Amino acid sequence: MKPAPFEYERAADLASALSALARYGSEAKVLAGGQSLIPMLNLRLASVERLIDVGRLDELRYIRVDGDELRIGALTTHNAVLQSPEVAQHCPIMVEAYRLVSHHSVRNRGTIGGSLCHNDPASEMPLVANLVGATLIARSASGERAIAADKFFKGNFETALHPNELLVEVRVPIPPKGHGWSFREVSQRKGDFALVAAGAVLALDGGVCRHVRLGFRNVGATTFRLPAVEARIEGQPPGAALFAAAAEAAMTAVDPPSDLHADEAYRRDLVKVLAERVLATAAARARQ
Amino acid sequence: MPTTQRITVTVNGVRYERGVEPRLLLSDFLRHELSLTGTHVGCEHGICGACTVLLDGLATRSCLCLAMQADGASVETVESLGRPDALHPVQQAFWEKHGLQCGFCTPGMLMCAVELLRANPNPDRDAIVEAIGGNLCRCTGYQNIIAAVERAAELQHAIAEVA
Amino acid sequence: MSTTVKSAPIPPSRQREKPGQPLKWIGKNMKRVEDPRLLTGQGRYIDDVDLPNMLHAAVLRSTRAHARIKSIDVSAAAALKGVVKVLTGADIARATGPLPCFSNPTVEQRCIAVGRVRHVGEAVAVVVAESRYVAEDALDLIAVKYEDLPVMSDPEEAVKATGDGVLHPERGPTNVAMQRRFTFGPVEADFAGAARIVRRRLRWPRSGAQPLETVGAVAEYESGAGKFTVHMNSSMYNYVGWTMALSLGVPAHKINLVPVIAGGSFGSKLFTHKVCVLAASLARICGRPVKYIEDRIDNLTSCDNHGSDRIYDTELALDADNRMIGLRCKVLDDYGAYFQYGVGHHGNALSQIVGPYRIRSVDLDVTAVLTNKCQQGAYRGFGSEVANFVIERMVDAAVDELGLDPVEFRRSNFIRPNDFPYKIPTGNLYDSGNYAAVLDEALRLLDYEGWRRKQAEYRKQGRYVGIGIATCQERSVFSATEFWMLNEQAGFALTSSPEGVSVKIDPLGKVVVSLNAPFWGNSPETMATMILAEQLKIDPADISIAYADTDHGLAGTGPGGSRYTVMVAGALVGAAGIIKEKLFRVAGHMLEASAGDLELRDGKVGVKGAPGLEKTIAEIAMHAHFFRLSMPDDPTLTSGMDAAYTYDHPLTTLPSDDRSDLGIFYPIMGHMCHMPVVEVDVGTGQVRFLDYIAVHDCGTLVNPMTLAGHVRGGTAQGIGTALYEQYYYDDDGQLLTANYADYLMPSVHELPENVRVGHLETPSPYTEYGIKGGGEGGRMGAPPAICSAIEDALRPLGVKIDALPITPRRLRTLIREAQPAAA
Repeated sequence: MKPAPFEYERAADLASALSALARYGSEAKVLAGGQSLIPMLNLRLASVERLIDVGRLDELRYIRVDGDELRIGALTTHNAVLQSPEVAQHCPIMVEAYRLVSHHSVRNRGTIGGSLCHNDPASEMPLVANLVGATLIARSASGERAIAADKFFKGNFETALHPNELLVEVRVPIPPKGHGWSFREVSQRKGDFALVAAGAVLALDGGVCRHVRLGFRNVGATTFRLPAVEARIEGQPPGAALFAAAAEAAMTAVDPPSDLHADEAYRRDLVKVLAERVLATAAARARQ
Repeated sequence: MPTTQRITVTVNGVRYERGVEPRLLLSDFLRHELSLTGTHVGCEHGICGACTVLLDGLATRSCLCLAMQADGASVETVESLGRPDALHPVQQAFWEKHGLQCGFCTPGMLMCAVELLRANPNPDRDAIVEAIGGNLCRCTGYQNIIAAVERAAELQHAIAEVA
Repeated sequence: MSTTVKSAPIPPSRQREKPGQPLKWIGKNMKRVEDPRLLTGQGRYIDDVDLPNMLHAAVLRSTRAHARIKSIDVSAAAALKGVVKVLTGADIARATGPLPCFSNPTVEQRCIAVGRVRHVGEAVAVVVAESRYVAEDALDLIAVKYEDLPVMSDPEEAVKATGDGVLHPERGPTNVAMQRRFTFGPVEADFAGAARIVRRRLRWPRSGAQPLETVGAVAEYESGAGKFTVHMNSSMYNYVGWTMALSLGVPAHKINLVPVIAGGSFGSKLFTHKVCVLAASLARICGRPVKYIEDRIDNLTSCDNHGSDRIYDTELALDADNRMIGLRCKVLDDYGAYFQYGVGHHGNALSQIVGPYRIRSVDLDVTAVLTNKCQQGAYRGFGSEVANFVIERMVDAAVDELGLDPVEFRRSNFIRPNDFPYKIPTGNLYDSGNYAAVLDEALRLLDYEGWRRKQAEYRKQGRYVGIGIATCQERSVFSATEFWMLNEQAGFALTSSPEGVSVKIDPLGKVVVSLNAPFWGNSPETMATMILAEQLKIDPADISIAYADTDHGLAGTGPGGSRYTVMVAGALVGAAGIIKEKLFRVAGHMLEASAGDLELRDGKVGVKGAPGLEKTIAEIAMHAHFFRLSMPDDPTLTSGMDAAYTYDHPLTTLPSDDRSDLGIFYPIMGHMCHMPVVEVDVGTGQVRFLDYIAVHDCGTLVNPMTLAGHVRGGTAQGIGTALYEQYYYDDDGQLLTANYADYLMPSVHELPENVRVGHLETPSPYTEYGIKGGGEGGRMGAPPAICSAIEDALRPLGVKIDALPITPRRLRTLIREAQPAAA
């Protein structure tokens, strides 16, 4: 299964990548790690007139702590993020999620920016970005804008990025000490895309849950967090009964798709089960 | 006339300069342009891992990589490991532990093992499983492959001790 | 002793090498001969074969499940630079006829569809170009107009279809390719008088072999001699390869089929006629060599080797003593769009339909229906793995309904060690076995009692852990009667499915063995080396293995039905016998001794009891090749040192004319006991393995290490079949699992950490050294064992497993439905 012909240029640096995008815009696709794009080209599910290869933009590969933010260059590979002590310390939910993402050799090449821009409905990082309140930095030849995660991800395979823009950085606010987190998913095999993924982040303050964020993946094209369910937990002491009720509410709040591997009823079951489990684990971790 | 672009790739220590179509997959470049047929193609959409090589030392599915992306890079394939009369410890271990039957997934498994052992000379079972977890084998049920990688670690230690 | 079958006497054993003798090589874990070249990337698979001036082909796959082809416009494709030819089925059919088919009457299949497409993925056109890349570009430019016909996706609908819903109207007005009822033994009486009848409806959907390498061929046509040479990764070239000559319209000596090692097969490369005939046709048309390699989607949609796809309505009759006496099955088998092996898969199942049990009557009502799907072919078990699933599910159902112990119920129903050779109601023979011993070994290895105690603890903790058990047969060494004996008219010859081998010793005393069957990942070179080293008492390093093409080959049915090691052992014993005799004759002249005083010892021939009086095989061989005239004139002593030997099936008899006795057709009977321990996450329906025991009895083992490899690999495929894999066609006949992101196979993560393999050996009285086949391995027993374990885990909820695969969604749905309040 060979790709159809396309034009190709490799950007030597960020400036030339941006000017190429300005020039070719929607006729071009950005090639980063290629782990999502190239299979689609091989299967001829996507056709592309021009590829702009940004794979050598080493200036976009970094992980650093900047004040109260963790800043990750968009071309940082999945494995670099997974193995990073800074990320483990300042965004442990991302590391936990990354252990579920695909396989080692795919993570050697795939990039966090590529995954976020691809926005596959069953992929993990867009959910993580929502849960941690990330900001995505998009740059074009004419400037830069910061887009909050909850505005960045549109429908399946769609983001707020303009055709002339390149995602350059992911900024994650460093959570307060003592916060709890959990990310789980159900997939048929380890490394497959999630049938349903779930994540929770919360803090404990004076014996009650605060800053609760609860979200799911693959339960609706634009669904990430469930604010109504979060509100039920916010300000309440953690406990099995509370989380069971929240899970029940989550189950009815989603409108999940049916496909070959999971029908709507099963996805609702998974929302319920995973909600309970991520809330319990997040609460247990928060106590530490 | 399809447009070609020039690339320079070092493969198994040898520098090659070639003109390639941008869409040429690295797997096809290795197999057909350079006649290094040890790397095999099983699915050509990035699932089976048979095509795994090392690109700048990192395990990479060569069917998910354009030859263009390897310009200026270094590639290692199974042909770099050893010869039948001088097997690499990983190859020797797979032989001893019956880590292959049809041999089609084997080059990809070997390259994953080589990457692992360079980074982690004492891998536990979980580390081995993670290293080969993205490579399918239809013949062996994987158990002997894991045993082979464990044995390869032993053999490499023995060689290091002698040295 | 079976009470039901009066039939022809069992032929005497032709075993020459007895089991239990002291052996030097057989039984050892010798490292494989095949490996050094495979490990160093020097294995030469079909896509590694390149011929000068070679072209590349790619096929256009039908997007429709059932349609007439109204028109195909190839003009834009043919005009593309680098394209040499674009051809339709009609173009190819000018010189190439239908493909080989072993059913009677046949069902016509073409290498490129003519007039009508009958499944999604079927090839409707082919491009030949300078590169595969350009060929695929040209495919995008071909315009096909289809006229849709009713899609037959549901086999129960397909049975009833008429008119345009019939796939092969030229064969008759129905999609029922065959319908036949077979009864053996006193079925009516057994069911009428039964104390208990257990009933289940069981579904086994199609999955497939998925070798990592697809099917391919590289063909050239030399017009001067009118001869084809086709390099291919198929088997059976030295058996039925000549049928492809018929398709190509040439005499069989005008096609030379050259075997190439295969990257796995598991049956699916048994006979890759379509790919080979296509490549050869294209080479003839284009006047240049042509390579056609299936890509993965070609293979998934159109490999012609999907697995069995069946619905069983089954009844099991038991007497008042809880003995199983009768088995009645009504089977609907969804064969797909063609019918290459007829109902051979059901003949195969009838070889061991009663499992290891003393069931005395069998009633099998088979309906084979054609549908708009890829046709069935061969996949590890060839249909008898399904019969194993059925009988073990019925056993578990009986155990459940009668409140019995699953271990003791099996034990009390087993055929006993003294019953062998045991004729089952269908007429097939089980040569030897000791099923209680295998069961006991499995119980011991698992620490069954220990796991039952742990299970009780886990239940108190609210965890759902189950222990499964399956005791299954693994028949080996088929006689080809299984392909046709269920037909009214024999569709194929009365072959004994032979296996030939050639052995020659060169003037320096080294040996070359020519095999007539391919390498698939089985270990034919290692098997042949070990057996011949044993026979001639030589060093394995002095043996080299070659693969004969059809120009040079002898009869070779090849791997399949776990037959190859047994058959090649017989052929090697035969060939070695001829060589031994000649070695002794020549050595006798050299040593001035009579042949009767000589023995083989350690690479030499010497006088018994006289250690110094000997010649090396090298010396003898040199003498035989170049010093004929120094020996007495005798026309019976020719120069050279070589032998060819064809070994026929050692134990087969014909069916009776009325087919009430199918004869002996698959008698070398292995057996296995699988005991998985699983835990079910009732919230998600996911299953994980806590332990797994697989005890196999394959008679005398040539190489325990390689046999264990087949057990583990087969178990992995069985786990895939049970939990992950299905070719899933929707109501429109679209294949929803047409790539490896949707057709899911287990990776290392999904399998038990340690499939603990046990061996037992009850040698065959009929084969050399008592070897039995074991290549189909764990796939024959894993699926029912896993169903059993999951049911055991969910016993408190009353969940029953009647269909595969047990995906998390399906299991969670069963759990939810079983316990609406608790869910």
